[in-house]
Amino acid sequence: MRIRSSFGYVVVALLVVLSVAFSADEPVMAQGKTITLSMLAGYKEDVLRASLPDFEKKTGIKVVVDAAPFGDLYKKQLLSLSTGAGRYDVVFVDEPWIPPLSEFLLPLNERMKTLDLPDFIPTTVAAGAFNGTQYAVPVDPNVQLLVYRKDLFEAKGLKPPATWDELIADAKAFHDPSKQQYGIAVTASSDIQTALYMLLAIWSYGGELVDVNGRGALNSAAGKKGGEMFLELLKYTPPNVKSYNFADVNKAIQLGQAAMAIQWASGARPMEDKTRSSVAGKLGYAQVPKAVRQTPMRGVWTLAIAKNSTNQDAAWQFATWLSGKDFGTAAVKYPSATSAIHSPRYSVLKDTGTKAALPYADALLDSLQITKERPRLREYADIQENLRVTAGKLTAGELTLEAALKEIDAGTNRILGK
Amino acid sequence: MKPTRLRAILTCLALVPVLLWTLFPIYWITTASFKTELTLYAKPPQWLFTPILDNYTRVLTNIPFVQYLKNSLIIAIGTTLGSLVLGTLAGYGFARFRFRASEAVRFLVLVTRMAPRMVLVVPYYLMMQRLGLLDTYTGLLVAYISFALPFSIWLLIGFFVDVPLDVEEAAMIDGCSRLGVLLRIVIPIAAPGLVVAAIFAFLVSWNEFLFALILSGVEAKTLPVVIAGLNTDAGPLYGEMSAAAVMVMLPNIVMTLALQRYLVRGLTLGAVKG
Amino acid sequence: MAAGRAGRWFLLPGLVFLFAIDLIPLAYSAWVSFYNWWLIRPRDVRFVGLANYTRMADDPEFTRAVVVTTLFTVGAVLLEFLVGLLLALLFAQPLKFLGPIRVLLLLPLFVVPVVGATMWRVIFHPEVGVLNHYLAAIGLGPLPWLSEPRLALVSITLVDAWRTIPFMFLVIYAGLEVLPAELFEAAAVDGASAWQSFRHITVPLLTYIMLLAVLIRGMDAFREFDIIFVLTGGGPGTATQTIQILNYRAFGLGHMGEANAIGIVTLIIVAVLCFVLMRAVLRPQAAR
Repeated sequence: MRIRSSFGYVVVALLVVLSVAFSADEPVMAQGKTITLSMLAGYKEDVLRASLPDFEKKTGIKVVVDAAPFGDLYKKQLLSLSTGAGRYDVVFVDEPWIPPLSEFLLPLNERMKTLDLPDFIPTTVAAGAFNGTQYAVPVDPNVQLLVYRKDLFEAKGLKPPATWDELIADAKAFHDPSKQQYGIAVTASSDIQTALYMLLAIWSYGGELVDVNGRGALNSAAGKKGGEMFLELLKYTPPNVKSYNFADVNKAIQLGQAAMAIQWASGARPMEDKTRSSVAGKLGYAQVPKAVRQTPMRGVWTLAIAKNSTNQDAAWQFATWLSGKDFGTAAVKYPSATSAIHSPRYSVLKDTGTKAALPYADALLDSLQITKERPRLREYADIQENLRVTAGKLTAGELTLEAALKEIDAGTNRILGK
Repeated sequence: MKPTRLRAILTCLALVPVLLWTLFPIYWITTASFKTELTLYAKPPQWLFTPILDNYTRVLTNIPFVQYLKNSLIIAIGTTLGSLVLGTLAGYGFARFRFRASEAVRFLVLVTRMAPRMVLVVPYYLMMQRLGLLDTYTGLLVAYISFALPFSIWLLIGFFVDVPLDVEEAAMIDGCSRLGVLLRIVIPIAAPGLVVAAIFAFLVSWNEFLFALILSGVEAKTLPVVIAGLNTDAGPLYGEMSAAAVMVMLPNIVMTLALQRYLVRGLTLGAVKG
Repeated sequence: MAAGRAGRWFLLPGLVFLFAIDLIPLAYSAWVSFYNWWLIRPRDVRFVGLANYTRMADDPEFTRAVVVTTLFTVGAVLLEFLVGLLLALLFAQPLKFLGPIRVLLLLPLFVVPVVGATMWRVIFHPEVGVLNHYLAAIGLGPLPWLSEPRLALVSITLVDAWRTIPFMFLVIYAGLEVLPAELFEAAAVDGASAWQSFRHITVPLLTYIMLLAVLIRGMDAFREFDIIFVLTGGGPGTATQTIQILNYRAFGLGHMGEANAIGIVTLIIVAVLCFVLMRAVLRPQAAR
């Protein structure tokens, strides 16, 4: 008896669940003025959502936001765009993804003329272009900065390092493991940041990842010098830097362990957050040091339009707004403790309100003018992946510097079919 | 019955390290949800601290948490029921009806779980897209039931086979149909197996991330995707992640508490004697 | 029992569903593995036969990944099985206080893997992590949990065990609960010791369940991804780079042919191992 009635309940429950499931399948989109955006989940999404109602009210366009975590956003976008699934009208893309995605994106050269281009930092606009065609508008520029403890430097009467030699000397000066004080925080793990640090060092000494003929060029005198300097720098880092990632670099600063760090501007806000950082307010920001040249790495988040979008005009309106001054100003001031969206516009970055909200605004603006971009190639993701793995093997001691540089170049050549 | 006292003490002693090891991270996550990040990383570790509710409020206000909770619940319950029904039927079929290709087909059922899940992502994506099931409950339900089913079937085969045949035969002689035997006699005896299958199916669906990420995005978005989103490009938000994880744990605990009395021996004796 | 017509109706719904939803995509995946399909060049798809497979065989990184995956799987499954079995036996005793504790034991299963692994990263933190703090206090530490290659492998095994021992416990415990009490009572009357009872009654009857638990766990450990990725990302170097991580990388770059080839090879390896294990354990058993 009991089992029979229980079975009845099971059947009823199953029917209820199925009916709810089917009834919830009704698509929500209205016709015409709705666009779907593939967005980065997290604080950037929060900033966007805060301002979105303004956009929707002003233009009558509804924006459906499909947010995915950082590690998976590219995959999701690639899958949809490549298979022609047509799920997105606009996509929020990190600049290295633009070359591979370019054939699925709408060229914007003509439309760009309607923007007030002089207000945009030129390097940020370049981030959205590939092979002479503009595929995306810049929304959120990011760049590598040097972060340092103003208080510690003042106590020793030192100025922040301007060259790589000074960088290593200063790191050595502050390095005191017995007191759990370390010179500088970077990563030496198999995380992508390790490869990017090494690349920054090699760039600074004049090396290149890919030369003008499209061949791997890391194994050169400059490459060796830069690599050596990077490995030298690792001597003055916290122990266990071999398991560090982006967040751990922040942690080292936040916990007062490191006197300096090279970190992306997007990592600065957590360092200034009092609930997470014991050194909030004690930090200074400068451009990354130079050797033969000064080459802060650029990473701009941009907005692109899908080529097969059926709402291209609405999409462009959204792109204009997202790279606009109003959104930029609001975004910079949004009270997120995690990070911020840095506008690509001079007017916004020079604004006093912005400087109050972002202590690193000056360093950011200065660095953005002299950035160096990673190779603009469709195959770059593969090249970077090879760089990442090999740099990880180098710092783990599985390879010598010479062998690592050779392996990176071999990989680059193989990928580019040379 | 004298040894029982000694046994109880020894059992306790054995359990202490186990519970410590099992529960400490859970405790750490729970306390982390009430701490600021600075407190979480404090040295020496802080066991006593002033709790804050900020993490919870941030999670609940920034994210339409309740909507995603609803999505996750519906999909998880649907997965559990679907795989229980299909699994019970198939499990009984394999247990009682042998045919020449029995073993091969059974192995084939398991084979579907041997490939890395990533391999199924693109075909599932294309399949759901063609069927118009992207970002719907149905799409995820279909995927998750197919994940939970192989283990459910194999597990239930094991439990059904253990049910004494004479009891079933006696019932059938009394005029009971096969289905009736399954429902009224076999299931009660094998109840612990069904409980495990149910918990397993629920968990598969509840914690699943990859397919929820690819196959949904807006409407049918589930909690694991939301939690993964708290792993931002500027680093993980430990406080919010912990708060979200604690809230996500609760329905599982409720479900297990509800089901766990069926996990015990008592039910089986009653059925056999009856 | 002969295959009555009724049998078909029991089997069909589940099997049809499963084979339609799973086997067809697997076949598709196998088919793709014979092509060179790069998502960023969707019009440049070429048939390459076994090229993806031969490239894998020649790749030392793949071989290393197989070794790492095997080490991890064997270590994890052994640990989880033994501890799970012990716990199940402990809890099968008729002691009243065990009831409420059962749910506590299952808690790690309820934590979303990504969060669990992230929190373990916090616990493992070399300088301010809880673990190293107290290890240093008693003079045993601090240990480089995630930055020393061999220790990193141990760490990911420990975290996986933490998460999955409850599962092994649950499955074996359920199996124990269904064993008829009369058998044990009769054995006790005959003067059998606890160990003899265990060896001659419990083990034979529970073989199927235990084997299933080991198989399922083995398959899952072989394909484990989330925990390893969050804890070490495959590092340091390639110390914890499993086949799944390689697969994830290939897939993330859009190389469908390669990714699927890795997947199919994994499938074959796991299938062979399962088959061998099943034959070895189930054959000696009396035909049921």
